[in-house]
Amino acid sequence: MSADTFAPSLPAAAELSADAAVVGAGPAGLAAALELARGGLDVLLLDEQAEPGGQYYRRPGPEVLDAVGDHRPEGGRLVARVRAAGVRVLSGHTVWGVDDDRRTLLAASPGGAALRVRARWVVAATGAYERSVPFPGWQLPGVVTPGLAQHMSAEGVRLGRRAVVAGSGPFLLPVACALLERGVRVAAVAEAGRPYTPGPAALGALRFPARLAELASYAARLARHGVRLHQDTVVARAHGADRVEAATLVRFSDPGEVVARHDVDLLCVGYGFRPQADLAQLLGCAVDRDPATGDTVPRLTPAGRASVPHVYVVGEAAGAAGAPTALARGRAAALDILAASGRAPDRGERRRLAVRMASLARFTRLTAALYPAPAELVPALARRLPGSALVCRCECVTAGAVRGAAAAAGGSDVPAVKGGTRAGMGLCQARECGPALEALRADGPGTGAVPARVPLRPLPLAAVLGPAPGEDA
Amino acid sequence: MTPRTAAAQVEVTVDGRPVLVRPGTSVAAALLEQGRWDFRVDPVSGRDRGPYCGMGVCLECEVTVDGRAHVRSCLERVRAGMRIDTAAGEDA
Repeated sequence: MSADTFAPSLPAAAELSADAAVVGAGPAGLAAALELARGGLDVLLLDEQAEPGGQYYRRPGPEVLDAVGDHRPEGGRLVARVRAAGVRVLSGHTVWGVDDDRRTLLAASPGGAALRVRARWVVAATGAYERSVPFPGWQLPGVVTPGLAQHMSAEGVRLGRRAVVAGSGPFLLPVACALLERGVRVAAVAEAGRPYTPGPAALGALRFPARLAELASYAARLARHGVRLHQDTVVARAHGADRVEAATLVRFSDPGEVVARHDVDLLCVGYGFRPQADLAQLLGCAVDRDPATGDTVPRLTPAGRASVPHVYVVGEAAGAAGAPTALARGRAAALDILAASGRAPDRGERRRLAVRMASLARFTRLTAALYPAPAELVPALARRLPGSALVCRCECVTAGAVRGAAAAAGGSDVPAVKGGTRAGMGLCQARECGPALEALRADGPGTGAVPARVPLRPLPLAAVLGPAPGEDA
Repeated sequence: MTPRTAAAQVEVTVDGRPVLVRPGTSVAAALLEQGRWDFRVDPVSGRDRGPYCGMGVCLECEVTVDGRAHVRSCLERVRAGMRIDTAAGEDA
């Protein structure tokens, strides 16, 4: 580090301004940015990945697409339209905080230089991340989220020779198929619930045959490859020394019953997706706890406007509901902003979009009803964790230590449990262990959820202090 | 199914050793394709750690790229001539 960094008066960070700043270039952010730019606003789109697309339309380099194929070409087309509409796209830029005015976004460029972004409207399209629930051995190399398995398969990587895919939710099926396509043998898919023998609650989903047909086609492909689909089954333990070597599967409803033990070099485990609402929280937006998922979700109007009127939250950050919903939410927010900016969009268009969103919401609710509610599933899994299992993988804090802190005075307060154990205070900021921490806290008063903290991502010091003199930000 | 080799491979160095990787992939993908899962050594337990989330959240895949520490390898693209150093490699 140069001595200049400690100069008494630091140079100001580079400033950018726009009518609208959209954070996150996944389906929702892209849809919002496109609509806003078409409506005549000057739009800045910030995204931390190398290429726009988010997780759903994640774009490897063109060389990979040429060689491996593009499994979601519509993503590339949407990105092209966004660029053609004049949106200023800043890839590789991490928005890590909000200034004291609760309005100016603080970002870091790919080189780590500081950037301040001021906009009349802020659209938080920060997406979702996978819900992890710890189990013994989950820190072993070779234990990954289903999302990692899908991304690396899309990049053409064969991640292992033999895999188990486990957890809960519809996403497990396409991930298992993606692994098969790369030549990985999938020993089993383990689903905690019983969604594939649906009860009366699920029958409403039959009104959406096209979407269910997609799920059925994945299930059929797995069956053709002889992949066992275990229901009411969860991973009890990953075995191995320096790399995962085997996985033990047990009944979710009766953990004493071993369903199978598979020798694997890849174990993919995830329990659906959690909205990433931390930027909205830093912007001062009111949030609620979703009773079905236990997740923190921003309080929004149907068009996505938050309690802070210049902030909109769209896509998975507003509640995980899938890509079609994310696209619709992005458009709806943009149309609302355009109306508020006096650029009245076609009222009929807004009405049609509202009808479509209501239909998508119905499908999301019915799909969710097929799978166990995370607010019940996660605590059930956390309660049976052996004391020696790591809960916080960053700080190596065991379930026993977390339970000890939860039993002490103030143990019903998640920040107190974190402070007493360092659980959830590592680099990932409790994004991986948060659901388990929340489940293991004692009943009683206090903060039940992991609060958002600045910086949202660990940063080089330069990004916080501003550029060094003479440096081009 | 192995991907067709369309583009020429590019050379990078991993822990000081030259290796050929496919262009356009993430650094994490390039390392995994080399059979590497030991991206990091956990400072508390001293045990190896590998990539976990693949989307920039867990920070388990951090490596040093061209001397820049704490780069999330799942979000960074490989470039010809790139120098990739893992914490596991430093200890070896």
